[in-house]
Formats: sequence, C-alpha cells, structure tokens
Amino acid sequence: MTLLDLENVDVFHRDLQAVFGVSLTVAEGEAIAIIGANGAGKSTLLRAIIGLTPSRNGQITFAGENITRLHCSVVSRRGIAIVPEGRRLFSSLTVEENLQLAMSRARKGPWTLQSVYDLFPAMHEFRRHKASDISGGQQQMVAVSRALLTNPRLLLCDELSLGLAPKVISDIYACFAKIRASGVSIVLVEQDTVRARSASDRLYCLLKGKVTLEGKSSSVGHDEIRGAYFGGSHA
Amino acid sequence: MNFTTAIINGLMVGGLYGLFGLGLAFAFGIMRIVNIAHGEFIVLGAYLGASLLALTPLPLFAVVILVGLISFAAGWLMQTALLNRLVGPNPVPAMVTTMGLSIIIRNMLVEVYGADIRSIEVGALQNQGVNILGVSIGVLPILIFCVSIILFALMHIMMTRTTMGRAFRAAADDYEILETLGFNRQRIYSIAMGLAVTLSAIAGLMLAMRSSFSPYSGVERLLISFEIVIIGGLGSLRGSFLAGLFLGVVQLVGLQINPNSGPLFSHLAFFVILLAKQAELPLLLSRRHS
Repeated sequence: MTLLDLENVDVFHRDLQAVFGVSLTVAEGEAIAIIGANGAGKSTLLRAIIGLTPSRNGQITFAGENITRLHCSVVSRRGIAIVPEGRRLFSSLTVEENLQLAMSRARKGPWTLQSVYDLFPAMHEFRRHKASDISGGQQQMVAVSRALLTNPRLLLCDELSLGLAPKVISDIYACFAKIRASGVSIVLVEQDTVRARSASDRLYCLLKGKVTLEGKSSSVGHDEIRGAYFGGSHA
Repeated sequence: MNFTTAIINGLMVGGLYGLFGLGLAFAFGIMRIVNIAHGEFIVLGAYLGASLLALTPLPLFAVVILVGLISFAAGWLMQTALLNRLVGPNPVPAMVTTMGLSIIIRNMLVEVYGADIRSIEVGALQNQGVNILGVSIGVLPILIFCVSIILFALMHIMMTRTTMGRAFRAAADDYEILETLGFNRQRIYSIAMGLAVTLSAIAGLMLAMRSSFSPYSGVERLLISFEIVIIGGLGSLRGSFLAGLFLGVVQLVGLQINPNSGPLFSHLAFFVILLAKQAELPLLLSRRHS
C-alpha cells in the first residue's frame, strides 16, 4: 500500500524554484533514498513533505489523505518526522529534555524513552548533558531518537552522514534495520550514494530539482547513477 | 540606620524591577519581540488594580490574582491578533506596532483616569511595620518582596520542569524543529506573551502600592526594564532578579542621599555598567541571533 505519494510537486524558496514537478511514492514499510549533488533540491523536497516549506503546485498525499496545505505541526501529528540536516537539537536543553519534548506531543506507538536508549545504549551516559556539549555523532543519535519518539509512520532523514566520522556513520546506519522492523518507512536523503544504495529499497536521483533517475537500489548501475547525478551525456 | 532601611526597601522595590526586566526579556528571548508597550502594560496593571480595589469589595490578594488573569488575556490577545502576523527575521514591524499600542494605551488611560499622579491605598497594611534588629520594615514591602520571589521561583520551575517551559526554551533555540514535533509556534508565542504581560502587570500593581504613577509612567518603567535586561542578560532568570535588586538598592540609597534625585542614581549606575561591559555588548546582542 502506498504511504506517501507526491504528484508533480513544485517547491519555491521565495521566488526561486528549487523543485520542479517531482513525483515519487513510498510504500508502507519501504525505505527509499533520494540522492543528488549539493543544491539538487533534496532537502527542500523533504521540507515540502513535512510542511516546513509548502509546495506551490502539485499534491502530497499521506496515508490516503491530502496533506499538501497542512501546517507542519499538523503533518507531524499525522505521522511524519524529520531528522534535519545538521541535527538541529535544542541547544539550551539537555539531551533528555530534547527527547521528552518529542514525547509530549507524540502519537501512540512502539517508541519510548526506554526503547531509544536500547537503540543507542551510549546515549544513556550523556543524557544529562546539554545538547550543545556533546559530539556530532552523539547529537545525531539524539536527533534520530527525537524523531522516533514522535512515533512516526514515515521518517525523513536529511544527510545523516554529514560531518561525521565513517565509524560513527556506520553505527547510525546499523540501527536502521531495527527502525524498519518497528514498521517505520524511511525517506533517506544522502550525498553518499554507496551508503544510500545499501540502506534503501529504491532510489531517486535529483538533478537541479528534477528526477533524473528512479529504480531499485540493487539494480541501478553505477554509470546510470553517475549520469543522473552529474547530468550530461549519460543522462 | 537610614541607609539600612534604604537598602532593605531598595531590595524590595528591586524585586519588582526584576519582574519588569523578566517580562521584557521573556518576550524577546523566546520570540525576538521588543515590546515597546511593556511600560504601558505595567501602568495598566496599576490602574486596573486601583479600579478593582475602588469598585469591588474584593480583598487585595484576589485583586492581584484577577489583574494577573486579565493581563494574561490582554497579552495573549495582543500576540494572537497582532504580533503573530508580524513575527519574522525583521524585528521592526513588531516594534512599531507595540509602539503604536503604547500610545493608544497611554491616551486611553488619560481619557479614562485623567493625567493626575496617584497611588494605590491598601488600608491598614500600608502603615504596619515590624522591628527586625532595630530596623523597622513595613509589612507591605516584605509581602511584596515575597511575592516577587515566589513569582521568580514559579517561573524557574515552569521553565525547567514543565513541557510548556521546555517548549518555550526550544522555541527560542529552533522553532521550526519544534513545529516538526507537533507544537504550534503561534500558540506557544501567545501563551509566552500572556505570561510576560502578567508578570509585568502584577509587578506594576505592586509597585503602585509603594510609589506613585500616572498614565505617563510607562516610559520610565520601560527604561528600567531595558536596563535590567542589559545588565542581567537575556536568558537568565537569576540575572534579571539580581539586576533588579541592584538597581532598586542604588535608586533608594540615592534617594537617601538626595531626595530629589528620583531614578538618577540607578540610571548612572546603569551607565557605568554599560561602560564596563562595553566589550561584551556586541556579543550579547549577536549571540541570540545565530
């Protein structure tokens, strides 16, 4: 069953168009990856899905309901959560306060304070620290946990690997299996195409705000991706 | 002897000044709104209390609570009807709007109450005093000081222990992400402005029991509030409280030295601190913008 359905979505930053007529779908339980270079419109597309930057044209349907014009705080209560680029924790709050805040408007579901500590046992040690005082990798664990605690049906992840050490990135991606096992669908935005392919069922490639490639992550070829990613003769 | 009394009374007035500063800092810290009508809300609290005391048989504490509730509604309404439409990266529209509001409130007060200077009489309580170690202190100032401390303590508990308090701090950090967690930014802002105005109006009412006021007192109150925010810092309850006490003590000790000085000495003290903190000021102002 289709969970998320985008039809011909245009998104603008003020007067500047960043996303051009993008259509994509996410099935229940599926993980898709959106890859593309800097400025391809990946983050903007995520912002449009959750309602932070409303799309000007097109339609976004979530769980059979039109959410195109809904306010972000309403969309999140319907079951979409985001792990934003650069983590964006509430820096004057402690780690645990960040998590508690996410729980206070949460939907019913499997994710609790206990289960996110089980997912990232290391987080328990720095739960009383200010969110601004912990390392980037630790912040990323908190950002993922914070999004999960709203008990979303769809988790949007924006550049999880940005600015983190490879070992830390692997640790974070290692928990994806558990997240998916809990029934959460995932939209993954990545610049790291290898990472994106291995963590997703299908992938879309964006180039200058348009979809240039769409296919099963296991079957798209390296050259196809390169063409779609950079444009030019390959595409 | 006289100076001891002045210092003790200064601490009590200072507690109220601290609340003035807190009201202004709260609105700015969370929403980046500089509420120019802040002083008028302080004076409005005083007039509202005076009217309720004169027109109804309600006891003083009930009047204080009622003024608190009405001013919460006023702040909430101002934010919901006007200021929520103006929030954004540019702070000027909200400043201009609240400045206009301050002119409207001030002239409304003149129209309704006249321009006379007045004060609030609270009956027998006014003259009761207790003797502590040879210094006589009025019961009323002690009560007022206790109420200030209680309000600061309640604010501290609210900010650190409750979801609403965490949401206020989170809204100051990153309101977009707060919205992705299911919170409505405008609703949070309306409650925050309601609280800010409540603190100011209650403090204004209590100050009116100790000193005189007129419809034009708002500007002076706003000035004190700004000084406290700058001395005490934006994010800190304790900073507002201590800065308030400091200015209160300086002002009353100054009045002891020269009864005609008014708020001169506290403004001078502020000026000295401004010079001393000069290097930190750009930091102070930019820190919250990033």
